[in-house]
Amino acid sequence: MRLVARLVAALLVLGLAAFTYPGALAVSMVVRLTAPPMAASPGPTGDLAWLHVEHPAQARPYIADEQKRMVLLHGAIPAGLIDFWTGTDQSRPNSPPFYPIDPAAYAGGRCPANSPAIRYPPLCRADLNQMAELGFNSVRLPLSWSLLEPERGHFSQTYLDRVAQVVDWARAAGLYVIIDMHQNAYSRYVGPGTGVDLSYLSGAPSWATLTDGFPSRVFLGQRELNPAVFEADSNFWYDRDGIQDEYIATLAFLAKRFRDDSTVAGYSLFNEPWPGWNLPPGFEDLLLFPFYRRVIDAITGIHDGLPCWTGLFMPAPCGYPDLGVHDVRHLVFLDTGLLREVTDFPTHLGLPVSSYLNLVLAVHAYTHIYTFDALAHQKPAQASYPWGGYEQSYSLADREAKALGAALFVAEFGDSPSDDSLIVANQLLEQEKHEIGFAFWTWKENGGKSSWGMFDAARTDVSPMSSSGCLRTARERLLARVYPLASSDPGLSYHYNSDTGSFSLIGHGRAGDSPTVVSIPPEVRGAVAVSGTAVPVTETSPGGSRLLTVTPSGGPFSIAVAAAPLVLLGCG
Amino acid sequence: MLGLLGLPFGVFAPFAVWSGFRSLRRIRAADGELTGETSAALGLAAGLLGVAALIVGTAYWFLAS
Repeated sequence: MRLVARLVAALLVLGLAAFTYPGALAVSMVVRLTAPPMAASPGPTGDLAWLHVEHPAQARPYIADEQKRMVLLHGAIPAGLIDFWTGTDQSRPNSPPFYPIDPAAYAGGRCPANSPAIRYPPLCRADLNQMAELGFNSVRLPLSWSLLEPERGHFSQTYLDRVAQVVDWARAAGLYVIIDMHQNAYSRYVGPGTGVDLSYLSGAPSWATLTDGFPSRVFLGQRELNPAVFEADSNFWYDRDGIQDEYIATLAFLAKRFRDDSTVAGYSLFNEPWPGWNLPPGFEDLLLFPFYRRVIDAITGIHDGLPCWTGLFMPAPCGYPDLGVHDVRHLVFLDTGLLREVTDFPTHLGLPVSSYLNLVLAVHAYTHIYTFDALAHQKPAQASYPWGGYEQSYSLADREAKALGAALFVAEFGDSPSDDSLIVANQLLEQEKHEIGFAFWTWKENGGKSSWGMFDAARTDVSPMSSSGCLRTARERLLARVYPLASSDPGLSYHYNSDTGSFSLIGHGRAGDSPTVVSIPPEVRGAVAVSGTAVPVTETSPGGSRLLTVTPSGGPFSIAVAAAPLVLLGCG
Repeated sequence: MLGLLGLPFGVFAPFAVWSGFRSLRRIRAADGELTGETSAALGLAAGLLGVAALIVGTAYWFLAS
């Protein structure tokens, strides 16, 4: 009897070890040593080149095009496809989508009227064209699981067609699309309660929101600090009732549609993951990143995790069955846990997630907005945290990405417009220094002067209400930037001065390298000078933006745009 | 208990090793007056596994990042 008890206890320890850090670590090390899956043939030719992640020795991986040139993605995030709650009675959280999800409502350049009843305007074709005019080359497109799978097991073809419509507009405008599985505080279906503003909540459908009777009540004014959100998120991470399996099936549904489409740069698997009742680093290392590995297993068909059951809690070492999509070309953006946004510090060990090569670590850069200092109501200019300033988050993110074997991308940053000269300006400086692309939150937003959009909020006293007011001067100045779209030299350095409109880039090339391409938005009018390259080729669009293509002749080269007064579009 | 906690929460693992080792010594020195040798040994083993994971994980971070 004693022997049996000892055996059972030993098995318990071994089982727990296999399912927690020792097991997670073992799988991660195996993943690190596994030969990566490669596409058997080049991707179908599209209007935009396929992107992938290059892995240079001893350096951080980076996003690259088919010519292996480093590619920087600059873009904004329109929120018009998110399923936010609208209405006057919060006890009814199941309001239908505010804007039509049928693509027919947007056909032929039509655009539904904006409304003050919802926080964000509709997303229409003109928006994508406006983004391209500002020199953006990408758009992060947030979607809602609640619209993709409104009933369990039934996916919405109409909503998928609407997403495809936006992808078509982006392709025509020359923009890559990062499809973002968005959520905020898990779901609006956590329900109303003290301090809860449902119009800020989105994500899971009603049937996948399991709050177990926990009260929906917001503490400290933070939407995630809500017992119902804690419980619903925890149930997701523990795959209660197979809801995580449904989420993975939803991603496979999306990935199947865009498998051969190079306009879609990739998928952001879960926006701002909230740990629920779980603590870091265990949350990321044992729940979140293993979940990412399972999604990658499912949509690529690789088998990095161990074969396990599905439909109930899957421990960290578990992989996932192949769901038949076999997409091995798109980028996979991995958001860190939301607490990293608060700490500007890694909240995980950086264990390798997958042998899949096209991984991008996606950080949300909200220094002085959601970091500890802001929660303590310190002003950004006098903040006592982060101790390492803006650089802290970026230098650590560099290391996190290297450890994970991933490229790096700022999937969200933004602020209240009154802080632009401090916060947005410093974030952009860091992004240049670390050669990281960005997606700006948000493209357009209704509300007052403190709304976060790139544009002034639309006037509400005119009918029909337009989608926005004028392009905000400070934002146009800062975000319509000169930057290298692509370069064969991932070690180049560059800087754009948004006060003077001047730009300088210093790189190194070998004869025969693919050209470096620099985007110059129409606001910037300075003359271009180059050295160390063949004669540059400049293409000017009807809108006045310039595309500069320079081919290095071997050795160091430089590109400069002279200072000149900016010509801001504003309301133009 | 510390040993079991040390596996998902590595921070407990060094304490599990210390506690497990100390308990085992006391039990063996007690000449049969104290029991729980199996629990102490398993706690120590779990703690050692947790510490090993902590060391390997941390070392990986510093080497790979």
